[in-house]
Amino acid sequence: MNDLKQLAFQRKNTMTFLVVMSIFKGLATIGQALFFVMIADRVFLQSATFESLIPLFGGLLISILLRAGSGYALGKAGVNLAADVKNEFRNTLIQSFARNPLLAATQGQSGQKVSLLMDSVDEIDGFFSKYIPQMIQTYSIPVILLGVIFSQNWTSGVIILITAPFIPVFMALVGKGTKKKADEKMEQLNRFSGTFLDVLQGLSTLKLFGQAEKQQQAIKKSSLSFRDSTMEVLKSAFLSSLMLEYISMLSIGIVALEIGLRLVVFDSISFFTAFFILILVPDFFNLLKDFGSAFHTARGSVSAAKQLTAELEKANVDLTWGKETMAQEPPHLSLEHLSFQYGEGFSLASLNVEIPPYSQVAIVGKSGSGKTTLMHLVAGLLPQSAGRFYVNGVARETISETSWFDQLSYISQHPYLFAGTIRENIKMGVAGDVSDEEVLTAAKKAGIAEMVSTLEKGFETPIGEAGRGLSGGEKQRIALARAFLKKPSLILFDEPTTGLDLRTEKILQDSLRELQKTSTVITVAHRLHTIKDADIILFLDDGKLDATGNHEELLETHVPYEEMLAAQQGGGLQ
Amino acid sequence: MSDLKDILKLTLLEKKDVLIAIFFGFLAGIASVALMGSSGYLISKAALTSQMTTLVVMAACLKLFGFASALSRYGERLYSHRATFTMLSHLRVSFFERLSPLAPGIFSKYRSGDLLSRIVGDVESLQNFLLRVFYPPVVLGIVFLSAVFFTSFFSLGIAIVIFIGMLLTIVVVPALFASRKRRADGQVRAQRGNLAIEATEFLYGFRDLKIHQQLDAKEQQLKIDAAQYNEGQRKEGLEENLAQSINAFVALLVSFFVLGVGAYFVAAGELNGLYLAMLVMISIAAFENVAPMAAFPTYFEESRKAAVRLEEIIAEPTLSQGAGQMPNGPLDIRLEDASFQYPGENSLAVDHVSLRLKPGTKTAIVGPSGSGKSTLMQLLLNVFPLNQGQLSIGGKPVETLKQEEIWQEMNIVLQENHFFYGTIHSNLLIANPAVTDEQMIQVLAKVELDILPLTMTVEEKGQNLSGGQKQRLAIARAMLRGKSLWLLDEPVSSVDSLTAQVIYQQMFQQNNNDLFVIISHDLTGLENMDQIVVMEKGRIVESGSYDELMEKKAYFYQLKEIENSVFT
Repeated sequence: MNDLKQLAFQRKNTMTFLVVMSIFKGLATIGQALFFVMIADRVFLQSATFESLIPLFGGLLISILLRAGSGYALGKAGVNLAADVKNEFRNTLIQSFARNPLLAATQGQSGQKVSLLMDSVDEIDGFFSKYIPQMIQTYSIPVILLGVIFSQNWTSGVIILITAPFIPVFMALVGKGTKKKADEKMEQLNRFSGTFLDVLQGLSTLKLFGQAEKQQQAIKKSSLSFRDSTMEVLKSAFLSSLMLEYISMLSIGIVALEIGLRLVVFDSISFFTAFFILILVPDFFNLLKDFGSAFHTARGSVSAAKQLTAELEKANVDLTWGKETMAQEPPHLSLEHLSFQYGEGFSLASLNVEIPPYSQVAIVGKSGSGKTTLMHLVAGLLPQSAGRFYVNGVARETISETSWFDQLSYISQHPYLFAGTIRENIKMGVAGDVSDEEVLTAAKKAGIAEMVSTLEKGFETPIGEAGRGLSGGEKQRIALARAFLKKPSLILFDEPTTGLDLRTEKILQDSLRELQKTSTVITVAHRLHTIKDADIILFLDDGKLDATGNHEELLETHVPYEEMLAAQQGGGLQ
Repeated sequence: MSDLKDILKLTLLEKKDVLIAIFFGFLAGIASVALMGSSGYLISKAALTSQMTTLVVMAACLKLFGFASALSRYGERLYSHRATFTMLSHLRVSFFERLSPLAPGIFSKYRSGDLLSRIVGDVESLQNFLLRVFYPPVVLGIVFLSAVFFTSFFSLGIAIVIFIGMLLTIVVVPALFASRKRRADGQVRAQRGNLAIEATEFLYGFRDLKIHQQLDAKEQQLKIDAAQYNEGQRKEGLEENLAQSINAFVALLVSFFVLGVGAYFVAAGELNGLYLAMLVMISIAAFENVAPMAAFPTYFEESRKAAVRLEEIIAEPTLSQGAGQMPNGPLDIRLEDASFQYPGENSLAVDHVSLRLKPGTKTAIVGPSGSGKSTLMQLLLNVFPLNQGQLSIGGKPVETLKQEEIWQEMNIVLQENHFFYGTIHSNLLIANPAVTDEQMIQVLAKVELDILPLTMTVEEKGQNLSGGQKQRLAIARAMLRGKSLWLLDEPVSSVDSLTAQVIYQQMFQQNNNDLFVIISHDLTGLENMDQIVVMEKGRIVESGSYDELMEKKAYFYQLKEIENSVFT
């Protein structure tokens, strides 16, 4: 909670404004009570004429305007404060996402990150829009009120001073108790509230098994159990606010009794003073109670803020780039003692590989053997933990990022297509103007032009987020078209494991053969012909480079490679 | 308000809690009004006399009304929340009742995973309907009217001022802001949706963006979208603050006018000055309760929208079905020239397909992903209405049969099989309530799952089971049904091939006269199928027995070639 408070207090102007407005509101509250009591006093006890009261009514109206105005200003400042802080949080988050090279490698948890950006940030709203303004008011207005009460009738002041602290103390005690009880019940509550979703998700299954009707009773039963458990938690929360109400009432009662005694029995104060204090005291206690409910809002924000800080504090691995430009021809790549280690199950032991220009490299190995990590290292998407990666004899870190990625294409198993037209998706990644003809040529080479021409809007056909509406094969072919348009000198290709249609299979093979003429191609290989045709096969096992060589060499020298091929030959038909 | 009619009906289904809550709410409100009013009156009285009794009465009133108010507030909260949860329970049941006939077609039709969580979210958000939409104006109205009634005995002018204030704070201002909200709301929603989509693209497409050097541009775009959403939210917040401030201002203004009118009448001698403080205090106290009305526009709009969305879902037309008797004896399935298109998509998912499935035969449907295999399965299950063509079961057109009766004859395994929170036992019982524990254990052994005890806990959606275990459990469920039509959609895609073979053998051997349709993710083990149907782009490109297709050396053969060369 202190972290969030600090965020608020950093904005000195807003905080000063809040304090000033709170003081205005306090003064307006007093003014309102004062004029009100004065008018009542004059009319009632002094039989004043209505005309003589008009200045007092003027004062009352001004106080009311000031009170409403300062209340509005406080609320507005709170909303603005919350909006500013949220904006800052979102920008920082987006920035940290953008700078995180691991994101390129781990596509998991994206949903969680989206919800962090959307929901968690929204959840901190209450802290700044409600809690902070309320806190400032609770710290300043009661002091002003108390001062006025003291000046009018110090004994009332003393009574308040003694009774008021019971409220925050009790609030803290009860708050803890309620929270504990709520936590205890939480699991049970989640279970009940989950039943409805569970049954809805299983509705298809239930229907197909003819069991849907029985579930109505289950929903009803769990809903009612949910109600009863929730009511138990709520009951204790309601009881605590009842107690708070009692404390404040008791305090007000004591003050009233004291005033009454002095007014009726001792005649030591005037009607004016007595009435004045009687109006101010409830205002005083209301502020304390309001703070209690604002505190509840703040608690929700705090746990959301914790998630945000945890995300922002995650250690990022750095990926550095330099200024050198790369020649526009396939580079000579040297990996020297290159290794990578991050967290668990995401590592690659030190390896040495030389990749001359125009090579065809096949990376093979079981899933989890580190193939993709190696690809990401070579692609310049991940920084190595140790060792060197030389490109044409210079360290990768000294090359400029633009010049590197200008030479690179990465065709993954599931290429990501963005919301936009087919043309925009093919043109992506090529800077400068691209003629329609060039797009068409690239599309033809990638075997997608025919399909596009059958569409009503052709290349201007919008494709949805993540390429919805296209089959896996069509997405692959659009990714190929991207590569044909870009003419890179280094291609990284993650060969599909299954599920493509025959046509796409053939196009992929032909296209790769075509692209190999002008570039180095590194493939995570899943097909026998790709492996056999490779100049260099990198055989990975459990995060280690087990063997290097071409097909014949490995067949002769590396038993696990031979075993792998044998298993494949025999494994087709059981 | 008409959008919320159904919800209101459900809320009032159990009137008792609602009425008690309203009663306590009224009591709490009126007691606090009485508390303030009496203290205003008594302090005025005390100023005139020096009788001890005034003091005693004053102290007693303070305590009495104070305690009554606090206690009633407690009761109000208790019963209003109870009523709300009861209403939610009714809502869930009634919604389920109406959604049930539409399943499973409605889920697959929209291909939308979030449909369900949207439903749950909308139902949840309706809990605010009673607490913050329906209930506050009702209780406030009664309290106000009582206050107006009471004050009218002293001064008609003051009563009219309070009445006007009431109209302003609980009708005019909330209605005004609700309509403003309605106009502006779509915008923030759209901005939020936009940001969520952009953020998802940014994260899922991160690698491609990075390599194509679009990351910076996309980052800027994302920031702009975030800022827009933020501005929308800011406006919304300011709007709510404005509503709240105006309401508070009106309340203050009313007490001003009450005092003005009161003072005028006192000065004119038409009202006893003794009552002035009381009347003003009554107006202050009555208007202190209007704070919840500031949130009314937001919750009203939210509830209305949720109700409309829920209504839209269950307003879907149901599949036309008849009441004919299922024919006896071995059943066959015939699909003739069937086509189907998903709403909102421009190509046919299943394109003029005809299939003949005879009792005692085994058919495999294969093809690349996206070729329409699963849609074809849904059509065979009579989940979607055909755009064209005819499906008959046992020689009868399906339109003449009841959907449930058709499924009654089937053992079905879907690609995504749902498991409920409970035990293995309770999940197997769904298939057939009549099976014994022994039968369950036997079937589990057949799918090589006998390591799992029947008493084992199954978590929501079977989270604690592996993909292969879930598939085998789903097959066990189908086996326990013991019907003659088997429709299996990629039943063993996550099971290792050796185990898969064993399971298939168990299934085929014991049910030799049954009809099997199996969608297969791979081409292995298809040698003993009677018929293999190869699909591409929604069409059947080839069909025949394994040997026939291999001999033909056409599509299936080439697919098989590729599969043989693929390492996984």
